[in-house]
Amino acid sequence: MSAVLHAHPESGPALGIAETGKTRKVLSEAGMRGRWWRFVLILVITAIVLVPIMVTVLLAFTPGPNSTTSGLTFENISNVFSKTLAGTWLQNSLITTLATVVVSVAVAAPAGYVLSRGRSKAVSGYSLLLFVMQSLPIITSVVPLFILFAGMGLVDNLLGITIIYVGSTMTVATWMMAAYFDSIPISLEEASWIDGCSVFGSFTKVVLRNSLPGVLSTAIFAFLLAWNDYLVAIVFLRSNEIFTLPMGVQSFFQQNATDWTSVMALAVVMMLPPIIVFATLNKYFSVGGIGGSLAGR
Amino acid sequence: MSSTTAESGLARARRGVAPGGSGTAPGKRKSKLSAQATRTFFWLLLPSVILLVLIHGYPLIEAAIQATHDGNLLQTGNFVGGENFATVLSSAAFWKAAQFTLWFTIVGVFGSWLVGLGLALLLRTKIPAGNTFKVLLLLPWVVPIVVSSTAWNWLVATPDSLIPSIFRNLGLGTPLFLADPTLAAVTVMMFKVWVSFPFMMMMTSAALASVDNTVYEAASMDGASRWQQFTQITLPLIARSTYISWILMTIFCVNDFPTIYLLTGGGPVNATTSLVVLAYRTVFQDFATGPGVAIAFLMTMTLVVISVILYRQIRKSSVE
Repeated sequence: MSAVLHAHPESGPALGIAETGKTRKVLSEAGMRGRWWRFVLILVITAIVLVPIMVTVLLAFTPGPNSTTSGLTFENISNVFSKTLAGTWLQNSLITTLATVVVSVAVAAPAGYVLSRGRSKAVSGYSLLLFVMQSLPIITSVVPLFILFAGMGLVDNLLGITIIYVGSTMTVATWMMAAYFDSIPISLEEASWIDGCSVFGSFTKVVLRNSLPGVLSTAIFAFLLAWNDYLVAIVFLRSNEIFTLPMGVQSFFQQNATDWTSVMALAVVMMLPPIIVFATLNKYFSVGGIGGSLAGR
Repeated sequence: MSSTTAESGLARARRGVAPGGSGTAPGKRKSKLSAQATRTFFWLLLPSVILLVLIHGYPLIEAAIQATHDGNLLQTGNFVGGENFATVLSSAAFWKAAQFTLWFTIVGVFGSWLVGLGLALLLRTKIPAGNTFKVLLLLPWVVPIVVSSTAWNWLVATPDSLIPSIFRNLGLGTPLFLADPTLAAVTVMMFKVWVSFPFMMMMTSAALASVDNTVYEAASMDGASRWQQFTQITLPLIARSTYISWILMTIFCVNDFPTIYLLTGGGPVNATTSLVVLAYRTVFQDFATGPGVAIAFLMTMTLVVISVILYRQIRKSSVE
């Protein structure tokens, strides 16, 4: 991210040799004014853009209609956990999401390695297949899978939706891993082969060990997809105690009068994990990486 | 592997596994290494292939079967040939949904691109706390759609919501953002742009970061205006990344479900029903599995053709 900040045309020192001290000073004053003007502009834009998120947070901590407290309060959040199944939903979401992240990386990393190092017709054909599959609407798979999973007892089941999440993250995850492996010089593997390491050994001991940023960015991608999914959840989950958080938040709307403070309290609970993940790991994640992996394949 | 000597290990690596390796050693060893690499590659790829077949391949074939039968979610039913497709293609709802999907995609792609490009250009200059803004502006993309659609609903859904109230107090009337068909369509598209612009901003920022600044210095010495610099230097230099981001966003928009469904449910009077929403409602609310799957299948076939063409073009441009 910081690299972008260095890349701006105006801020570099002026190159003109004949430039006097005076003009340089004038220029920098104009530059400063421009900086503050842009600061105000971006401040206003950011404030407007973040209104829906600020509203969510504010309502979550505002006393509800039946509350006796005044000022900001944690009451809504504690109520949501004590009076609804929020705790169960949170747990369900965490289980499916973490399982998706671990299995996606475990499947995508080896496949990505093959895509990165293999150069046969079959490998590039598989790469094309992954691109086509990721561009298809999930709704097409959902109906046949619903029928298949119903016969196997995987409808209304966390394992069922986890399998679908892994399947749908796998395509892009494989590419992201392959793009990262492309950046690791093959000389590292060659050195390990000299030491008598097998291809598999060099993959796990040399390549994977040096791929933490690639693994993390793939993991974040899988995390966001599984945590945010709604379509698969709404089709496959039926009972209250199997709901994931998105279904839980939505279930509040089915009551006649929406209790906004409770909805927002749960919404805040739901948006915290992705924000925490993103805030702590954001240097590993660049969407440019997703685009780059598409370009490089 | 214990029999492998150091040199042959290296040579094998060069010829069998390294991309574009230029080894010229005897073919015997080469095939031995290739065989080992191929075997390993097979096992490494296997879990991925199984999942692809289960989650993507099998459903696609099954969808083709369902689209040509009159069954439901419990049984396949009888073969009816192209009847479901005929029903779908002759229904006004399908074409209306197709039209909405088209507009939704065009506005979603170019709206989010323009906003993302503008912000990326702005954030590229020196601004106090620029990095903080950069992270804050990613939030609409990071926050789950279920959460942000809830917030948007609270802001605009009823005449007494915050934003309609502000309009009323300004004497601009009370716009029914989700009840008026045209306005609902506009609101859904604005929501999509709000959700997607950070993605475009990140893609563009990454592309801009790789542009060499000396180009601009040379151009301004030659008397090129800011606008000329933008259209004739910046845009061409980021064209490739822009093209890829358009492709990805097109796929995201066409396949989008939660952004639309959670804000409007496809209404009012189907004004915001996209093809995915229509397919979902046909199968799970009208219980017409055949026609619903036929809609999804038509979308799928169109996307297969488009994505194969786009994939070829991306590959071609990356070779150049």
